Amino acid sequence: MSRYYVNLQNLCFMALIEIKKLGKIYGNGESETRALSDINLAIERGDFAAVMGPSGSGKSTLLHILGFLDDYSSGQYLFDSKEVGKYLPEEVAKLRNQKFGFVFQAFNLLPRTSVLENVKMPLVYSDISEKNWDNLARQAIEAVGLTHRALHEPSQLSGGEKQRAAIARALVNNPEVIFADEPTGNLDSKSGKAVMDIIWQLNTQQKKTVILITHETYTAEHARRIIRLLDGEVESDQLVSNRRGEGDFEK
Amino acid sequence: MLTILGIVIGITAIMMVMSLGKGAQDLILNQIQSIGSKTIAVVPGRHPTGISDSLSTFTDSIKNKDVEDLKKKSNVPHLTRIMPIVFGPVVATKGNKINQTTVFGVNNFFAEIYNIAPSEGRLFTDEEVASKSLVVIIGSKVREELFEPGETILGQKIRVKNHTLRIVGVLPNKGQFSFISFDNALIMPYTTAQQYIFGIKYFNRLVIETDTEANIAATVADIEATLRNNHNITDPDKDDFFVETQAQAMEMVSTITNALTLFLAAVAAISLVVGGVGIMNIMLVSVTERTREIGLRKAVGATNRSILTQFLLESVMLTSIGGVVGIVLGTGLSFVISLILSKFVGLDWAFLFPIMAVFLGLGVSGAVGLVFGIYPARQAARKSPMEALRYE
Repeated sequence: MSRYYVNLQNLCFMALIEIKKLGKIYGNGESETRALSDINLAIERGDFAAVMGPSGSGKSTLLHILGFLDDYSSGQYLFDSKEVGKYLPEEVAKLRNQKFGFVFQAFNLLPRTSVLENVKMPLVYSDISEKNWDNLARQAIEAVGLTHRALHEPSQLSGGEKQRAAIARALVNNPEVIFADEPTGNLDSKSGKAVMDIIWQLNTQQKKTVILITHETYTAEHARRIIRLLDGEVESDQLVSNRRGEGDFEK
Repeated sequence: MLTILGIVIGITAIMMVMSLGKGAQDLILNQIQSIGSKTIAVVPGRHPTGISDSLSTFTDSIKNKDVEDLKKKSNVPHLTRIMPIVFGPVVATKGNKINQTTVFGVNNFFAEIYNIAPSEGRLFTDEEVASKSLVVIIGSKVREELFEPGETILGQKIRVKNHTLRIVGVLPNKGQFSFISFDNALIMPYTTAQQYIFGIKYFNRLVIETDTEANIAATVADIEATLRNNHNITDPDKDDFFVETQAQAMEMVSTITNALTLFLAAVAAISLVVGGVGIMNIMLVSVTERTREIGLRKAVGATNRSILTQFLLESVMLTSIGGVVGIVLGTGLSFVISLILSKFVGLDWAFLFPIMAVFLGLGVSGAVGLVFGIYPARQAARKSPMEALRYE
């Protein structure tokens, strides 16, 4: 029934993420800073959108709001056709757990904790029974090609391996949307290529919706469309004419 | 590990206070009980109730007639033994040796009631009590003071208040820590003590034994009725005697030692508060250091409640570890102290493992973690995931 409902939504071209006149203001009074103003955006299921822009353009703020990590000040954000402001804090936490996977520039792996345990972390907050955790975590680790590193600690891994472990953690709950905040920012070109290959596959093969922040055009061209921000506003929103595929990454 | 030291010290102190307090209580209670739980003491006198009353304390109120009447089955049916006691300080001399000591005038129930028998010689006989014989049983310390070691004592004579007493027995050494000690005492028939030593017609104390413990209350009532009748007393407030039971004495000792133990434990608990503040401090540092971790956990779906629970559990774990270490340390130290008291000081001290204190220690240390962990845990739970992730 729910599957049918979802299909019906797709037929009606209801976007998974839809924001209207979205604004974000930091601080108040004299010191108030307008980070985002009047952003209109729709991202469908299975889309791959790269968000680009110079630092201070508001791209990180936008990603945080889209990923329910931050509140917005004005406008509307509909996720799955429901106004995000209407979700209870517990529901927001549950949605982050079940629907989203985050990949950060700084990896954010727990130190002195094995890759396997790091990848398991989202499962701790899920409804999945504990006996399946090991299996799910190992599958996710295998999907990013880190099986041989599963029991290593982050300090024993290279930057690329750390980011792949972080991607495995983002995947372990089988989320709908992957948010990647400059995932190749701290990596050399070879490691960055491997990471982008994985993200590209997640979109093209597993049909995950991907929202990627980057300031590298090469990286952004893995996406289906590129949204450029400037001073908190959408400057342009274009489809990528010559989309890069597996192995096309270079720096 | 240093951070839990406060908790460790606090729990250790509480464990020791409780274990040693219980040991001391049991020691005293055992000694009271060794006199016999079926004994009742009758003491002459009255608490002054007003100025006009304060001069008449009735210390001479219990006389021979009272003893004779209490012995009657019709008055006190459950009485099995009665021993009048007169006592007072005296100076005993042997040749040119002098000893400051105490005379106890008793009858031959003395040995059974105080659970002591002469190590040499004998007790006196009923005839000797009846005929006011000048015989005496001396304590071990009196012997030391007045005689040479190895000297034959029995049959020797000592002088007290210009009377010559013949030694018929010597009591064994019981040590200075006994609740009641006859080490430095002269035991003689109460008739002898009354007539020749003190020149009085009354008793300082009566010790009465009943047939069973169950009949103590009834016997107390019978004694009171008999004595009031003899002394023409109608108002119990005007009694010129007290009746004390072992149960009362034990209850009083228990109350005092329990209050002392509680007070000392409360003092020890202060270090738990200090320890708790230490835990709060280290948890606040930990929350700040792990800001990124908190942000990440929230990003992957942790609710405020699960973050709160995580940090609360951590602080409870920390203090509980301190509690367990404290329990082990406290028990160990109590055991060592008990060993020293019983082996080297010569007390009849038994080591007690206070099960209650273990649960109390665990509970209290956990509670300290909970109470002092709440503030840091709330700080952690309140962090916004985005702010937390941005933290460098």
